[in-house]
Amino acid sequence: MKTLQCVLLICLAASGAISQDLTRGEYLRQYEERAAYVGSRFDTAMSASYYTIAVRYARGSGIAIADSLFQVALQEPRGDMFWMFPVIGAYLHGKEKMSAETRATVRNAWKTYAPYRGDTENHWAMYYASLFLAAEQWPDLPGTEWFNGKSSEENREEAKEYLIHWMDITTSIGQGEFDSPDYFAEYAISMGLLHDFARDAEMTKRGTMMMDYLLADFAAEHLDGQYLGGFSRIYQPAVYMPLRSVASGFAYLYFGTGTPSQTGWLVLPALSTYRIPEIIYKIATDRSERYLHKERKRVRNVIRFGPEKNPPVYKQTYVTKDYGIGSLQGGILQPIQQHTWGIRYTYGSPYTTIFGLHPYWSSEELGMFFPEELKPLIADVVASKGTYNNPEKWTGGSPFERTFQHRNTLLVLYDIEPGTTTEHIDGFFPMNLEERVVDESGWILCKAGDTYVGWYPLQPYEWIEEPERSGQSKNTIGRPETIATEKDEGAWRLRSHFLQNGYVIEVRSQEEGGSFQNFSTALRSHLPEADLRPGSVSVRYTSLEGDELVFAFPQQRRLNGKEVDYGDFDLFDGPFLSAEVGSRKLTMRYRGLRRVLDFTTLTIDE
Amino acid sequence: MKRIRHSLFSLAGLVGLLALLGAQTATGQQSTVYAVVVSTKMFVVGAANPQTGIFYQPSGNDTIWSHTGPTTIRAFDFGIASVSENAIMYIASGNGVHRSTDGGKTWKITTGWEITEVLSLCTDPHDAETVYIATAYGIFKTVDGGDSWQEMNAGLDRTFTSCVLADRFTPGVVYCSGEGGAYISRNGGLTWSRMGLSVGNVRVVNQHPRDPQLLVAGTETNGIYLSTNGGRWWEKSEAGVDHETFYAIAFDPNNPDILYAGGYVTGVYKSVDRGESWKRMNSGLDFPTIHALAVDPRNSKTVYAGGYWGGVFRSDDGAASWQGAGLPEGQVWNIFIQP
Repeated sequence: MKTLQCVLLICLAASGAISQDLTRGEYLRQYEERAAYVGSRFDTAMSASYYTIAVRYARGSGIAIADSLFQVALQEPRGDMFWMFPVIGAYLHGKEKMSAETRATVRNAWKTYAPYRGDTENHWAMYYASLFLAAEQWPDLPGTEWFNGKSSEENREEAKEYLIHWMDITTSIGQGEFDSPDYFAEYAISMGLLHDFARDAEMTKRGTMMMDYLLADFAAEHLDGQYLGGFSRIYQPAVYMPLRSVASGFAYLYFGTGTPSQTGWLVLPALSTYRIPEIIYKIATDRSERYLHKERKRVRNVIRFGPEKNPPVYKQTYVTKDYGIGSLQGGILQPIQQHTWGIRYTYGSPYTTIFGLHPYWSSEELGMFFPEELKPLIADVVASKGTYNNPEKWTGGSPFERTFQHRNTLLVLYDIEPGTTTEHIDGFFPMNLEERVVDESGWILCKAGDTYVGWYPLQPYEWIEEPERSGQSKNTIGRPETIATEKDEGAWRLRSHFLQNGYVIEVRSQEEGGSFQNFSTALRSHLPEADLRPGSVSVRYTSLEGDELVFAFPQQRRLNGKEVDYGDFDLFDGPFLSAEVGSRKLTMRYRGLRRVLDFTTLTIDE
Repeated sequence: MKRIRHSLFSLAGLVGLLALLGAQTATGQQSTVYAVVVSTKMFVVGAANPQTGIFYQPSGNDTIWSHTGPTTIRAFDFGIASVSENAIMYIASGNGVHRSTDGGKTWKITTGWEITEVLSLCTDPHDAETVYIATAYGIFKTVDGGDSWQEMNAGLDRTFTSCVLADRFTPGVVYCSGEGGAYISRNGGLTWSRMGLSVGNVRVVNQHPRDPQLLVAGTETNGIYLSTNGGRWWEKSEAGVDHETFYAIAFDPNNPDILYAGGYVTGVYKSVDRGESWKRMNSGLDFPTIHALAVDPRNSKTVYAGGYWGGVFRSDDGAASWQGAGLPEGQVWNIFIQP
């Protein structure tokens, strides 16, 4: 049996390595194989999991067992909005097949179990998409039949209003919890359920269009199963093991990349009738040409300590067939789990990334986004996210960090206030790099297959050997399937204790720069000049291509003598995607293909 | 919604009325105590969290807590707008404002998606249909018992608000506080103006039960302030105060010279001179951060303290000594006593 599973995995992995040249028919055939593989872990399972129940109903594999499992699962509802979407999903896949008793049990659960609505965008997407579908299923009930006391009509109207509001704001000024390798699922599942099951034709269309929107957003920043660039939210394991993220599971299902996954997060998408348009698949997988992709997103709702509710986030990502390097502008843009910049590449496993950060935490940061009392807030957060106030952590933004990216050259500066939570910066260098050489010029030269990385620290530093990461992973909860269980090769931590600090990053591939030797030689004659006085931190650097970058903390950026204004960023700007701020319209382009999602008219133009 | 003619009070503000009730009916009966529990330790949205929300000890039972209302909503405040068998009750929560019109048997969320993170709630003592709420997004008001809500942020420098309080003596006068400081409205919240308190991040404002001019404010980083002229001038109350962060201020409804205050790692402070000086009263109190304080109107010796992850403690001797009263590890945001 194990041998058979191995063969199946090898076949699926091989089918995952498909190119963008697949015909649509072949793509769809392989997609069906992957979807079947996702469900195959569940259709004979006996656990009272809503995913098992959904697959059993959808595939007709043991309806009586599914009924029984549903009854058991609903004896103790829990999980708030994370309960709502799998329950309504399982119900909608099975409502024509389940017993009247089971139907009544499900109905009763929506009367007696009161889920918390949550406090952030992904919570509200799940809550309201699920509530909308449930209210459609039981359309004429009074408030006494619902957990929140509102009638079916009130629930349906409120849910629809919120969902349209969210879609409007997302397609106008960007998503707040944007590009999250770990929270992609919550949005995709919610929108997929609308696509599959909404009776209201407008919401069906909106569900389809938002699925396209989310997946196009991912596709343009995708490489070999990995989400690229800076992220709003990422849990610690996925930040240094990118292919362990939930989004990578979606890349496997929809793009055929990465490693086969059977995470429960994929079950409802795998049962869905939604199929990505050909153009999104092409955008996700064609890396024959290098490109720069820019985006504007928004900061999650700032409720205090800031004059603006949703300040802009500027993101840019440079993508090649071998690597991607991406960054946000820096500063506090999201609480706890921000990933400001990173390089990800196609070489090695499980570590496929190099990145750096200033490990920072504060009650003020949390207070910007959470309404609870400031002083106990850190303890509140640490109770569930144990890495938050760990000086060794690998996630989070810092008010003392800013970036300046020009294609595959990145400058990062720090001007850290004395006495802040940590007085050091860290860099993550996997041990599975082919080369990690500290050159006499000051450059740290790294080779990861055909990807070459140069890192020039502006201040002295030390190396700390960290043979395995799973100890920290255990502190992260909520995504147990992404936590490493094996002993792995570990990493080198670059740590520098200077408050005025920074580094220059250059990334090139074999295709761009020839041999690693050539790359190393070239860098030796490109040394940055830095001014690292407190309150006056700046760096001047000429890239390998001869572009002069001048960057003064926090936000004076000049390229070849010209001021760089991130405020000019569109919502999407790249060879594949374009959208103007406020437009509510996304245009996708790939060679002769074109697809326009117009949320002002709710039309898809091809 | 039917017009309510019964007496009105809320957790945030109607201590004076409670005093009156207590004085008139102090016959040895015990009161009903409500504790508003936001969460317990290790709360994670979407996880199998323990039951939270509104817990109460019915009159005559000071050992067992019962639960009413939704269980996982992150409740921050509670108010009752009608004392009767079918009492009208409100819960302020992360999900919005829940209302019961049958004494807590059934509940309805009266707010829509726009209103979230409701941190404070106050029924208007002069109009039973009017309720004010303070939220992370500002002040909202209903004049029809919760059927509809209006945003009331004109004049607020910052919309993050954590406390709202209707003046129990003058109709239309309302106080609120939050990130921007402490504010007063003289037109039912239509417009706000800053009171004379210069500091920001004012966590709580309370009004003396008999002297409408005496206001007390607890701040995030500046301790306790007193105003004796309705908020025009404020003075810092420093005698005996060794801490900076105060979340709760409670008056003894039967002896207005007595106040209690608590906050971040403060334990319980008591004043017997209208807030001029303070003394810490922590014997038997085994958690330091106090988020809720309430005095039983029927018996001023009985004082309740709600801890941040510390559950409820009770003193039967005016805070001279304390003993655990249940809900261990509960993050008790507020305590409310119905005589």
